[in-house]
Amino acid sequence: MKTSEQRGLAMAEHKISTKLLRHRLNRGLRFLFIALTIAFILVPILLLFKISVSAPQDILTQHPPFLIKNFTWNHWKKVLAAGHIWVPLWKSTVVATFVAVLGVLIAAPAAYVISRLPRNIKYGVLLAIFSTRMFPEVGIALPISVTFVRWGLVDTNLGLVLAHLIKVLPLMAWIMTGTFDSIPKDLEQAALVDGCDKGQALLKVVLPLSMAGMAAGSILCWLESWNEFTYAVYLCLAESTLPIKTYYYVRRGNWFESAAYAVFLTIPVMIVTFVLQNYLKSDYLSGALKY
Amino acid sequence: MVLPLILFVLGFTLVPVLQCIFFSFQDQITGEFPTLGNYREIVGSRKFGEALKNTLLVTLIGLSLEMSVGMMVALLLTTKHKFRGIFRAITMIPMGVPTVVSGVIMLYIFSTNGYLNEFLYRIGLIQLPIDWANGGFRTLSMVAFADMWKVTPLVIVLLLSGLESIPTTVYEASAIDGASRRQNFFYITLPLIKPFFTIALILRAIDAFRIFELPMVLAGRNTMFLGTYAYSEYFDYNNIHTSGAASTILMVVIAIFVFGYIGMVGSREVEQ
Repeated sequence: MKTSEQRGLAMAEHKISTKLLRHRLNRGLRFLFIALTIAFILVPILLLFKISVSAPQDILTQHPPFLIKNFTWNHWKKVLAAGHIWVPLWKSTVVATFVAVLGVLIAAPAAYVISRLPRNIKYGVLLAIFSTRMFPEVGIALPISVTFVRWGLVDTNLGLVLAHLIKVLPLMAWIMTGTFDSIPKDLEQAALVDGCDKGQALLKVVLPLSMAGMAAGSILCWLESWNEFTYAVYLCLAESTLPIKTYYYVRRGNWFESAAYAVFLTIPVMIVTFVLQNYLKSDYLSGALKY
Repeated sequence: MVLPLILFVLGFTLVPVLQCIFFSFQDQITGEFPTLGNYREIVGSRKFGEALKNTLLVTLIGLSLEMSVGMMVALLLTTKHKFRGIFRAITMIPMGVPTVVSGVIMLYIFSTNGYLNEFLYRIGLIQLPIDWANGGFRTLSMVAFADMWKVTPLVIVLLLSGLESIPTTVYEASAIDGASRRQNFFYITLPLIKPFFTIALILRAIDAFRIFELPMVLAGRNTMFLGTYAYSEYFDYNNIHTSGAASTILMVVIAIFVFGYIGMVGSREVEQ
C-alpha cells in the first residue's frame, strides 16, 4: 500500500511528464513548421538554378528528377556567347544607376524638409506622397507611354529613368524622412550654438549622420529600377531591359534561356540584398511608421 | 528643397492619372469628352467581367494566405531558439528575387511537366498531370501562391517590427494574471500590433489589386486580371480609351478598399 506521500509524488511526476511531453510536442511542431517554411522558400530558387544548369533530357520530360543528374554550363555559355544579353544588361545597369543617383538627389532634400515640418503637416504630406502608390501603374504608364511617344522618349534611357523615378521617389521620400527623423533636431541646434550657420550645420552634422540611410535608400532605388517591369514593358519596344528580355524568352517558351536570364537577373540583387539586410531590418522601413 | 519632388510627383504622377481618367471618358472616334461609351463597352464584355472577378478573388486568396502565414512566421521569429538568425535571413530571401524571376520560377513549378505535378505524382496523389494554367480557380490559386512566395517577407518584416515594439513587461504582467498563450495572443499581441497589421494589409492589398507581372508571366492571355486587361487593350487593340477605363476602374476598386478599410477599423490606428 502506497503512503499518501508516495501517491502525491507520483501525481506530481505525472503532471511534470505531461507538461514535458506537451512542451516537446510544441517544440517539435515549431521545428516542423520552420523546416517547411525554409523548404518552401529555398526549393523554388534551387529549382531555378537547377534548370539553368541541367541538360535538356532532365527537364523536358514528363517526370523531371528533383536533383541535378546531368550537369552542364551549356545554357549559361550559350546565353553569354549569343550576346543578346549585353545590351539589356548595360541598359538595366545604366538606368538603375541613374535612378539611384537622381532618386537620392531629389528625395533627400525634400525628405529633410518634410521631417522638420510640424507633426501633423508632416503626416499629411507623407500620406499625400505615399497615396500616389495607390494609383495603378498601368493607369500611369498608359498616358506616360502616349506622351513619351510624342516626345520621342520611348526606347531611350532617359524615358525609362523618368518612368522609374515615378515609382521610386515616393518610396524614397518615405524612407528618407524616417532617416532624418532619427537625427535629433537638438544636434543641429547644438551646431548652431557652436557657431555654425544653417548650411554648415546641414553639411557637417546632418549629412554625415544621414549617409548610411541615404546609401541604403539609393541601393533600394537601384534594386527597384533593376527589377522594374511594368513601365519597362510599356516603354521598351526595340531595346529592352533585362526583365523584359527574360519575359521575352518566357513568351517564346524557351525554358533554358529564360532560366539562365533569370539567374543573371537575380545574382546582383541577391548580393545587394544580402549586404543590405541590416538596413532592411526594422529601422529604416518602420521609421515612417512611428509617428 | 521640396520643389523638385513636388513638381515631379505632380507632373509625372498626378497629370498622367488625370490624363488616364480623361482618356477613359473620351469618345474613341470623335474625341468628344464626357462620354460613358468606353465604360459601357468594357463592362459589357465578358473578358472584363472575368478580369474584375479574377482580380478580386486573387486579392482575397493572396491576402488571407500572406497575412496568416506572415503572422505565424513573424511570431516564430520572436521566440528565441537556436536557428532564429539563420531562419530570419532565409525568410528574407524572396524579397531579393525580382518579381519576373519569381514568375519564371513558378512557371517551372506549375507547368504541366513541372515539379509540383511531379511531386504530387511521386507521393501518389495524382496519376495524370494537372494543367494549372488552364483557367478558373486553379490558375487563381497558382497566381496567389506565386504572389505569396514573393511578398510574404515584406509582411513578416512589418509585423515583426510591430511585435518587437511590444515591451516584454506587458507579457510579464499578463503572466502574473495567469493568462494562457491563446489569451496572450488575442488580447495582447493582436491589439497591440494592429497599426502594423493595418499598414501591412493595406500595402499588400494595393499591390495585389495591381497585380501585373505574375499574370503576364504565368497566366498568359487566358486568365486576365485588371492590370493585364488594361495592358492588352492598349497593346493588342491599340485602344487607349478602354485601357484607360479599365485602369480607372482599378483605381476606384483600390480606393474603395483602402478608404473602406480605414473607415472600418478607424483612422486612429493608421495615424499611429
